Amino acid sequence: MTTALDAVTAALSSVAPDGDLSRLDDDLYEELGLDSMDLLNLAAAIAECTGVEIAERDYGELRTLRAVAESVAARQH
Amino acid sequence: METAALASTGRIVTGDDILAMVAAATTPGTTPAERPPVAPPAPPRPADGGDRMRRAIAATMARAWTEVPHYHAAMRIDVGATIAHLAVRNEGVPPARRVLAAAVFLRAAALALRAVPELCGWWRNGAFVPGDGIHVATVVALRRGGLLAPVVRDAADKDLDAIMADLRDLVTRARNGRLRASEVDGATFTVTDLGETGADSLSPIIHPPQVAILGLGAVRPEPWATADGLLGVRPVLHATLAGDHRATDGRIGSRYLLALSDRLQEVDW
Repeated sequence: MTTALDAVTAALSSVAPDGDLSRLDDDLYEELGLDSMDLLNLAAAIAECTGVEIAERDYGELRTLRAVAESVAARQH
Repeated sequence: METAALASTGRIVTGDDILAMVAAATTPGTTPAERPPVAPPAPPRPADGGDRMRRAIAATMARAWTEVPHYHAAMRIDVGATIAHLAVRNEGVPPARRVLAAAVFLRAAALALRAVPELCGWWRNGAFVPGDGIHVATVVALRRGGLLAPVVRDAADKDLDAIMADLRDLVTRARNGRLRASEVDGATFTVTDLGETGADSLSPIIHPPQVAILGLGAVRPEPWATADGLLGVRPVLHATLAGDHRATDGRIGSRYLLALSDRLQEVDW
C-alpha cells in the first residue's frame, strides 16, 4: 500500500504539480479540479510506474488519493 | 494575432509572451483616426501572472462582447452511439492510448465545418475572409484560473488518434506553460468543451477575428423522444453555436449544428 501510495502520489503530482497531495481523502475532482484529461494522464502515469492499467470503467472508483492507491495495491496482487 | 515572427524563431514562448501578443492584438485604435483623443493611462503592471492573464482575457472578451453581434443556436444531440463505441474502443487499451469524448467531439466539430465553411475563417475589414484550413482552437481552463486556446491544425484531415494525441499534448503543455506562440495562433474556429464535470450547456463568446465558436456542455442522461414516439433515456450533449451575425445568420448556425449531429451519429473510427 505504501509503495502504491508513493507511486500514485508521484503520478498525481506529475499531473497536478500545484495540488496539495497531503490529504488522502480529499475529492480529487473538487479539491484538485481534475478533469478527464488529467484522469487519463494519471492512469497513464500509474501504468508507467506500477504496470497497473486501471480500466476506464473503474475510473469512478478514483475519487480520492487513498482510493486510487488502494485500487492500484489491490491490482498489484 | 500576428505571431509569425516570434513563432519562426522556434523558441519556447512563455505565458507572458502570449499575453503580450493578446494585449497587442486587442488594443483598440491601430490607425490615427480610430485612436481615442486622449490616450488612456497605462494600466499598472500587475505583479502576478494570473492577474495579467485575467487582464488579457478581459480585453479580448470585452472587445468581442461590444464589437461582435452574436447569435446563438442550440441543439441537443444524442451521443449514445459515440459514448458506447468509445467505451468498446478503450476497453483493454493502455491508458496512454485511450481516446476521450472531447477528441471525438473536436473531430466532429472540424468535419462539420467542411459542410458549413461559412463559419470557418475571420471577419476582417468589414468582410468575411475564409480560413486557410480547418484549424480548431480548443479552450483549456488553467488550474489557477485563466484560459488558453491552443490550436489543432488541419483538424478535419486528422484521424481520431491524431486528434487525441494533439489534444493531450496541447492541454498538458498549456497547463505547464510550455506552448509555443505558433500553437495559439491562426485558429479559424474554436470549440469550448466544459467536460464531464461541467454545466449542461454554455453560450460562448466568439474570439475575434474568428466568426464562430461551439460550446459543449457535459454529457448527461436525459429524457429523449425516440423515433417511434416513445420516451427513452439517452446520453445527451447540449451544443451551442455562437455566430458573428455580421458574417452569417442563424440559419447557417442551425445548419452547422445539424452537420455536427450527423457527424456524431457516425462511428466510423
